[in-house]
Amino acid sequence: MNNPSDKKQGVQTTGHVWDDDLCEYNNPLPRWWLWTFYGTVFFAILYWLLYPAWPVGSSYTKGLFNDITYTVNGEEVTTHWNTRALFMRDMQSSPAAVRQREFLDVIAATDYEDLLADADKLAFVRSYGRGIFGDYCAACHQTGGTGIVGRYPNLSDDDWLWGGSVADIERTIMHGRLGYMPPFRETFDAEQLDVVAEYVLSLSGIDGGDAAKAQRGEVIFKGMAGGCFHCHGADGKGLPSQGAPNLTDSVWTIANVPAAETFDAKKEAVKGVIHNGVQRQMPAFGERLSPVEVKVLTAYVHQLGGGQ
Amino acid sequence: MANAATMTAHGGQQYNYDIVKKFSIMALVWGVVGMSVGVMIASQLAWPVLNFDIPEITFGRLRPVHTTLVIFGFGGNALFATSYYVVQRTCQVRLYSDALASFTFWGWNLAGVLGVVTYMMGYTQGREYAEFTWPIDILIAVVWVVYFWVFVQTLVRRNQPHIYVANWFYIAFILATALLHIFNNLAVPVSLFGLESYSMFSGAQDAMTQWWYGHNAVGFFLTAAFLGMMYYFVPKQAGRPIYSYRLSIVHFWALIFLYMWVGTHHLHWTAIPDWTSTLAATFSILLLMPSWGGMINGVMTLSGAWDKLRSDPIMLFMITSLSFYGMSTFEGPMMSLKSVNALSHYTDWTVGHVHSGALGWVAMISFGALYHLIPRLWNTTLYSLRLVYVHFFLATVGIVLYITALWVAGIGQGLMLRAFDEYGNLAYSFIESVVFLHKPYVVRAIGGGFFVAGILVMAFNTYMTISRAKREAAQPAAVAHAASA
Repeated sequence: MNNPSDKKQGVQTTGHVWDDDLCEYNNPLPRWWLWTFYGTVFFAILYWLLYPAWPVGSSYTKGLFNDITYTVNGEEVTTHWNTRALFMRDMQSSPAAVRQREFLDVIAATDYEDLLADADKLAFVRSYGRGIFGDYCAACHQTGGTGIVGRYPNLSDDDWLWGGSVADIERTIMHGRLGYMPPFRETFDAEQLDVVAEYVLSLSGIDGGDAAKAQRGEVIFKGMAGGCFHCHGADGKGLPSQGAPNLTDSVWTIANVPAAETFDAKKEAVKGVIHNGVQRQMPAFGERLSPVEVKVLTAYVHQLGGGQ
Repeated sequence: MANAATMTAHGGQQYNYDIVKKFSIMALVWGVVGMSVGVMIASQLAWPVLNFDIPEITFGRLRPVHTTLVIFGFGGNALFATSYYVVQRTCQVRLYSDALASFTFWGWNLAGVLGVVTYMMGYTQGREYAEFTWPIDILIAVVWVVYFWVFVQTLVRRNQPHIYVANWFYIAFILATALLHIFNNLAVPVSLFGLESYSMFSGAQDAMTQWWYGHNAVGFFLTAAFLGMMYYFVPKQAGRPIYSYRLSIVHFWALIFLYMWVGTHHLHWTAIPDWTSTLAATFSILLLMPSWGGMINGVMTLSGAWDKLRSDPIMLFMITSLSFYGMSTFEGPMMSLKSVNALSHYTDWTVGHVHSGALGWVAMISFGALYHLIPRLWNTTLYSLRLVYVHFFLATVGIVLYITALWVAGIGQGLMLRAFDEYGNLAYSFIESVVFLHKPYVVRAIGGGFFVAGILVMAFNTYMTISRAKREAAQPAAVAHAASA
């Protein structure tokens, strides 16, 4: 840096030198830089003219040529540009909002029977329902409604804890459900627990059990010692009004019997449920969703698997 | 540079290099730790199982640990180191007070440690980049005022008629940071012996105060201060004069005037008055060219010395940092426009943007400055220039992977959340957009891994440089001089 002037441009330095060799050329501001800066100033001024921008006293400049018209209680309102009006207008008159509202109005006026029989309306239900199911239901029941054994019921099969008619599903969504089975740890001794589990497995025809034990279990199941029949029924087919599952089919919602390989492992799974009982809750959505949203969601869940 | 070397030889008496050494080493220590935590939390986002259900190391608590350590630990220590070095050398005077400078070192780093510990215990103010609880805020405020005092008193005692441009930027940064820190952290403690407090502001005003702070932390801490660093180390390393004195004056004043207005662009489309949103957007656009003024001055300083890019890896760090600075200061104003922000807000595009500035600009210029600084402080040469190349390529690959992954993630998620199907319904539920993020998150974590590998190489190179310098110093002076020549 012995030569303080820029030979190529013929520019001198300012003459200041720091720390032995730090100097500065006195080059002018680059033209393109300056003009681009003026360009951004022009852009800003334009933006200020169009949108609310500068505070003036207790008010502010409202912006010109940029009014928004929307409807409040059937009356048209025109206002200067603002976020809320923009939102209102978008929700009222954007193409997507208009199309969606047309469909929703039709759905609201259709009863479940017609809804489920109409392919076009069902196509809308699948599209709209997928969104609300994803936002409100999928966190537990999983995308697609397959649930998690032991925690959240599968909604995509044709087995229902609380009933699978549209009326039942709607009630479930509106008011939520409390699933409860008392724990039998205080009631049964080890022998009783064992034989009741044997009986329960025999109900769904699982091989490998001891028929004699199952018989002793049946006595407890159907008698006052266990009282299981109160909810599960004397035939073990369950009681939807109590959310009590059918024990005679091969669908399991709490004890993960299908995942257990040996008969003993299956029995342990069943014994765990009887020993500890069940407590689970689905929250009520009646106040979080609009009536038409509940309707779409009901139809959506109904068509996921085997709605009744 | 022969001149500089002789200055360094007797610098022990003339300047306080001891404090610069301490801050430089802590910059690297916090850099390694903070960036590693960054890779950890990036991996937690890609694979949530890595939270291990241990509260102290879940994403929520480690995230402020990461930001605090990289911004205030790595960045802060690098700024203390370089500002104390630059102000002494360009004013040709020793620091005003060794004791007060030492206090800033211990106070600042203690605050960092306390911050990390309290965050992991679950104590936070919940203000982004200002998560420190109130007692730590007070410690920082005291340290910062002392820093200001040491810096200004050193400037006052200068043996130079003019104040070098780097020092304007440093003083603006110190002054603005004091202002931002104190006002944003005004709070009423719940009790004298508890860490909880309530902000003095509420609602939209609280949010706007926070983002006035938040964006000016970017503007003054991460931009103006590092421009100060750039204005000293780029011309020094290039051996060329600054391109334009006039440009430096104009862009300095424009930059510090305009930055103060733009914080509200972090709150577009929320419950704030529309006019504040407009002003923030337009001042962000106005800020584009003043920001680029620094880039132009840096890049044009190199013109005429382009050949150095072939032989000097430190120069590669500097030119790359200026390129990323230019890119992210273009991207920022674009994202500040309300219509662009409607897409980018609440997506990872924002996170990618801040990292193209933080990794590309802040970290790269700091690496360049530290590579310039370390051999001079210990009066030796770097242990290995080849390792500097290795660091450069690891860091650059890391940044490119990181920001491209988050462009994909952010713009992709933004588009998914606004997509409609033929029925006018939202085409995707939120969870589907989260599922989409997994792959970009994996790439982002890998990019972060590259970047950490780079700083580990640097830490090794620095360790070897310093330990060799100590061996040299133990030998007779004449031999040591011959070895470093």
